[in-house]
Amino acid sequence: MVEFRSVTKEYSNGTVALNDINLNLDKGEFAFIVGHSGSGKSTMLKLILKEEDPTAGEVFVNGYNVSALKRKEIPYLRRSLGVVFQDFRLLPNKTVYENVAFAMQITEALPREIRRQVPMSLALVGLSKKANVYPGQLSGGEQQRVALARALVNNPALLIADEPTGNLDPETSWEIMKLLSEVNYRGTTVIVATHEKNIVDSMKKRVIAIDKGVIVRDQEKGQYEDEVKNYKVYS
Amino acid sequence: MKLRTTKYIVKEGFINTYRNLLMSLASVGVVTASMIILGVFLVIALNLSYNTQKLKEQPQIQVFCEPELDDEQIRTIEKSIKNDSRVKKYTYVSKQEALKKAKEMLGDDQDVVEGLGDDFMPVSFIVELNNLKESQNVVSAFKSIQGVGNVRYSQERIDFILNIATWVQVGNLALIIILLAVAMFIISNTIKLTVFARRKEINIMKYIGATDWFIRWPFIVEGVIIGLAGAAIGFVAISIVYGILWGKVAEGVNIFSLVSLGEIQFNVTYTFVLVGIGIGAIGSTISIRKYLQV
Ligand SMILES: Nc1ncnc2c1ncn2[C@@H]1O[C@H](COP(=O)(O)OP(=O)(O)OP(=O)(O)O)[C@@H](O)[C@H]1O
Ligand SMILES: [Mg+2]
Repeated sequence: MVEFRSVTKEYSNGTVALNDINLNLDKGEFAFIVGHSGSGKSTMLKLILKEEDPTAGEVFVNGYNVSALKRKEIPYLRRSLGVVFQDFRLLPNKTVYENVAFAMQITEALPREIRRQVPMSLALVGLSKKANVYPGQLSGGEQQRVALARALVNNPALLIADEPTGNLDPETSWEIMKLLSEVNYRGTTVIVATHEKNIVDSMKKRVIAIDKGVIVRDQEKGQYEDEVKNYKVYS
Repeated sequence: MKLRTTKYIVKEGFINTYRNLLMSLASVGVVTASMIILGVFLVIALNLSYNTQKLKEQPQIQVFCEPELDDEQIRTIEKSIKNDSRVKKYTYVSKQEALKKAKEMLGDDQDVVEGLGDDFMPVSFIVELNNLKESQNVVSAFKSIQGVGNVRYSQERIDFILNIATWVQVGNLALIIILLAVAMFIISNTIKLTVFARRKEINIMKYIGATDWFIRWPFIVEGVIIGLAGAAIGFVAISIVYGILWGKVAEGVNIFSLVSLGEIQFNVTYTFVLVGIGIGAIGSTISIRKYLQV
């Protein structure tokens, strides 16, 4: 589903954000990417979205060789994914319904399909009642759920979330994470970059820890921090 | 592109124009001003070329035969004029016509020629050339024809016409190109404000997989709406002012005559429509380019 082959990313200013990363994610997996600020989490997700290109190595996503993708093909890669960001990124001049429908409109979907899918997606995130409200009138958690509904409306095989709970209080964060887990349960592969120690620790999912651009730990049912390392740090 | 997408794009273009009403109105104002300036140049250009054309069409060369020539000799002269490849067309002026013209010119003093036959009047040919630049050569050629008495022709006048014609063509083209560039620059800057205000939205659209064209089209529609609105107002302004001007000028007799309002409106309409669409579309395409690089 997602594969990084010896990927190195050096930004134009000389910062090496990723250093020879190898990673494999199968269909249906749920993985957290954790690490300190500046460790390279967002950079990994940007390479998946082809917002950035690797300096060396190759990235494969949903059967696309992302590193070899032409500029014109990028929209089709992105339509095959769902994306959620920390800052929600909703269109302020469109209602909740229109925001979600927009993700289908860009694919030139049939109006009939749109009328069928959008309410289903909104129901999934529990926002059916707010369909005709503008994003500015919603709480952060509600906005993030709209973003999630939009990310899911095209039934993507892969969902990417970059600190989806970064702007939310702990309780709301839990709701969002539970939704992500539910989406994963329905078959969608999910990758979440996060700083939420408590949530990571209690959800017992795969954890990929990254430090200074290198994967330092890749663990099934992992924890936010390496216990051995903690022991060493605090002893 | 599917019909529903086209519908979406046009609708979105209108909604955006309305949503940024103040900015759109400001842009329309700028376009209107540019269009009026363009219109003034266009009106001047059309009138100059119309008058040049009229001057050109007036007979420039008149070849007079000796009055005592018989018909046979005149036909010989006519033949050499006719066979000259530089001649576009010519008109035969008979003795009778010449006398009639002379009488007309004399007006109240007609009695001077009263009783005189038309015999002393010369037969002449009014000659129009394919290319005015050849006048000098043609005139000397005609002068040397046996039986030709005089060739009347005004060098200064022909040169003057030639000068104006060239000047009008080159000058207008240059002015119009400069003006279009300026108008486009202004519009693209105005639309840049719209695009800048919505750069986040553009960014979001890119992230969820919208193609560049899907994002670009509504802005192009917006630019075209602004361009056409400005063109329409400019058209009305030009029409009203030209209508008044035309009425004033038509009253007096003038060597300089004005093109009719209808013809001006026709030319202004299609120029403005093309220019309005063109600068609107190109202007918005230029201004959005930068924000599509995500
Ligand atoms: N566009 C850029 N140009 C130059 N350097 C960049 C750019 N984006 C990120 N970096 C650098 O690359 C490194 C990794 O950044 P990245 O955003 O991937 O970190 P992160 O793990 O997502 O951090 P955070 O938890 O704070 O979001 C950092 O040192 C950052 O300064
Ligand atoms: Mg980050």
